[in-house]
Amino acid sequence: MRILLVEDDPLVSDAIVRGLATAGYVVDAVVDAESVQGRLDTTHYDLAIVDLGLPGEDGFALVRRLRRDGSPLPLLIVTARDGLDDRVNALDLGADDYLVKPFALPELAARCRALIRRATAATANEMVVGRLRIDLAGRRAIDDTGRVLELTRREWSILECLAHHSGRVVSKERLIQAIVSWDEEISGNAIEVHVSRLRAKLGEAATVRGIRGLGYRLDDA
Amino acid sequence: MRLRFKPRHAPSIRGRLLGYLLLPLLVLMVASIWADHRTFVTPMYESFDRALSRAAIAIAAHVQQAPDGKLYVQSPDRGPIPLRPPDDQSPPPMDGDPYQRHGPPMRFDPADRPISWMRLYPGARDSFLYRVSLPDGQTLAGDEGLPIAQGKTVDNLAYGDATYKQLALRIASYQTTVGGEAITVTVAETVHHRNTVVRRLDTVIGLSDGIQLSLVLGLCLFGITVALRPMNRLRDQIMRRQPQSLQPLPLEPVPGEVRPLVESLNTLLVTVRDSTLAQQHFLTNAAHQLRTPLTGLKAQLEVLANETHDNAQQERITRLQGSVDRLAHTANQLLALARAEPSAHGPGDFVAIQLDALIGTVIDSMLDRALAHDIDLGADCGPAQVHGVYWLLHELLINLLDNALRHTPDGGKITLRCGLHNGSPYLEVEDSGPGIPHAERERVRERFYRAAGSNGQSSGLGLAIVEEITRSHRARFEILDAHEGSGARMRIQFPAHA
Repeated sequence: MRILLVEDDPLVSDAIVRGLATAGYVVDAVVDAESVQGRLDTTHYDLAIVDLGLPGEDGFALVRRLRRDGSPLPLLIVTARDGLDDRVNALDLGADDYLVKPFALPELAARCRALIRRATAATANEMVVGRLRIDLAGRRAIDDTGRVLELTRREWSILECLAHHSGRVVSKERLIQAIVSWDEEISGNAIEVHVSRLRAKLGEAATVRGIRGLGYRLDDA
Repeated sequence: MRLRFKPRHAPSIRGRLLGYLLLPLLVLMVASIWADHRTFVTPMYESFDRALSRAAIAIAAHVQQAPDGKLYVQSPDRGPIPLRPPDDQSPPPMDGDPYQRHGPPMRFDPADRPISWMRLYPGARDSFLYRVSLPDGQTLAGDEGLPIAQGKTVDNLAYGDATYKQLALRIASYQTTVGGEAITVTVAETVHHRNTVVRRLDTVIGLSDGIQLSLVLGLCLFGITVALRPMNRLRDQIMRRQPQSLQPLPLEPVPGEVRPLVESLNTLLVTVRDSTLAQQHFLTNAAHQLRTPLTGLKAQLEVLANETHDNAQQERITRLQGSVDRLAHTANQLLALARAEPSAHGPGDFVAIQLDALIGTVIDSMLDRALAHDIDLGADCGPAQVHGVYWLLHELLINLLDNALRHTPDGGKITLRCGLHNGSPYLEVEDSGPGIPHAERERVRERFYRAAGSNGQSSGLGLAIVEEITRSHRARFEILDAHEGSGARMRIQFPAHA
């Protein structure tokens, strides 16, 4: 996986390159928005990390230009500005996620992983969560030993919904909406039953964590 | 009108106007009643007196001189004719002898002395008496004790007031000569009738003047109310504003007298807004200047920690990381606190916010930290909506949860709640930590206050931020005991209508 980093601060840039390298990513760093197009023309990137406060053309302008040109590249904004306006603005312009400085490297890595996963799901119809490979087209989940998990229709729907938002809490109401058609009715308890069966079938490959009063979260392990 | 903003002795314009109008109007009313009294009562009194004097002249006509030179009063067959028609009684019968029927007969005969009271006409309540006397004081006829009027003599007539036999009397004395001898005829009548008439007249005057004054006062009140309406509109406009609003006031409906006040107020508002914008701009820059090097420092330390295998160095790096984290945390808190100030957001920032959705977002972002300490982080949400600034309430909840995470031991439990309490939305964070003693519950809200035993990570600003944001949402921040266990329960009670 190759990531393009647009960050003018050398200390931050260097740390991100090294930090993401240990997470298994190859990171190319540039210091301004003007250098981005040359890189994109020659190399395929899975993700771009863009700092908003760049010298010359700023991050907003870069995001706007990339999206106007029709680039499907997932964009993660990192910024020192945490105002709601900035956040909304960046997301409206077409950025995929937003991270406020100062952040911890593992958090950055997690955001990158989620964004790449989402982009892959859209293009390759496949997602990887932990040691689980989820084949969206074939509607099947395969663990690292190559074994195809035998899931019921509802268990599959729950896994698919959780995988689409992996690392994020998914509310029970949302899961109910995901697994039933509009004329069916299902209780919260029924969801718990389906989730506990799904959990047993997943085993060590991935973890479905229950969050009291809220819902569930799919974690890598 | 909210009275709590009103100083006790501040005079209202309306009250002052009324006061300044009422006092002169009252003086005017007294003066006009007095003038009316003079205009109507004096001529009436004079006509009463004239009637009385006619009686005296009539009696004088009956004084005759005997051939021996002595004076005597000729006795008429009947008393003097009625002096004036009654105003409220039927007129006296013109035939017959009324005195035979209605009272003791009165003969002008010296032999009849002492004279008893004589009714002037049937049914009259006033009594009449007379005295014919010589200049030496000798009484020829009539009541001997009747005093003679001592007032100024005009056309041989003098008038006066006296009290005789415990009766208030009006007296008229007529001086004339009979056969060359001077005599004084004094007549007197009780003042009952004229008093009644005067009282009635005064009542009518008082009533009509009072009604006039009330009408004028009513008109004044109406006029003042109408004239002050633009002021009231301005007051309502100011009171309807959000307390944080820095929008200039409209000049359109403002009367000329108040316009300079509104204009200077607007100038002030613009100044405040400009300085607020400048402050926000400064904060944005400061945030950027602080956060970027902190990010570099933090990330570099993380990389260094990964690359170092020397245990002693690892420990030093960990301590460095702790300090950098604390620095970053404090910088964030300071920025948050500055931006939570009421001047930092306008009424346009207030939107409808679902508290349960907010709790979901905050738990999502803090879940990893809770899991790292094996803390059971959960929610218990009922539907609740408030009117607030989204990122401020987000900041508030983050700070409450951050505070709870800091004080909850590993393996503990934290619950976020929202719902309606007596119709008012509330937000609650309950932890299973050691709780906050009652004595410290006020102090922990102060800036930079750090409770005894708190770890080095705390900036002492978290609850101050919560307090500040709570205030800007007109909510109440309460620190309570946990429902179960010894922990703290932080509660934000929002106003019902928000």
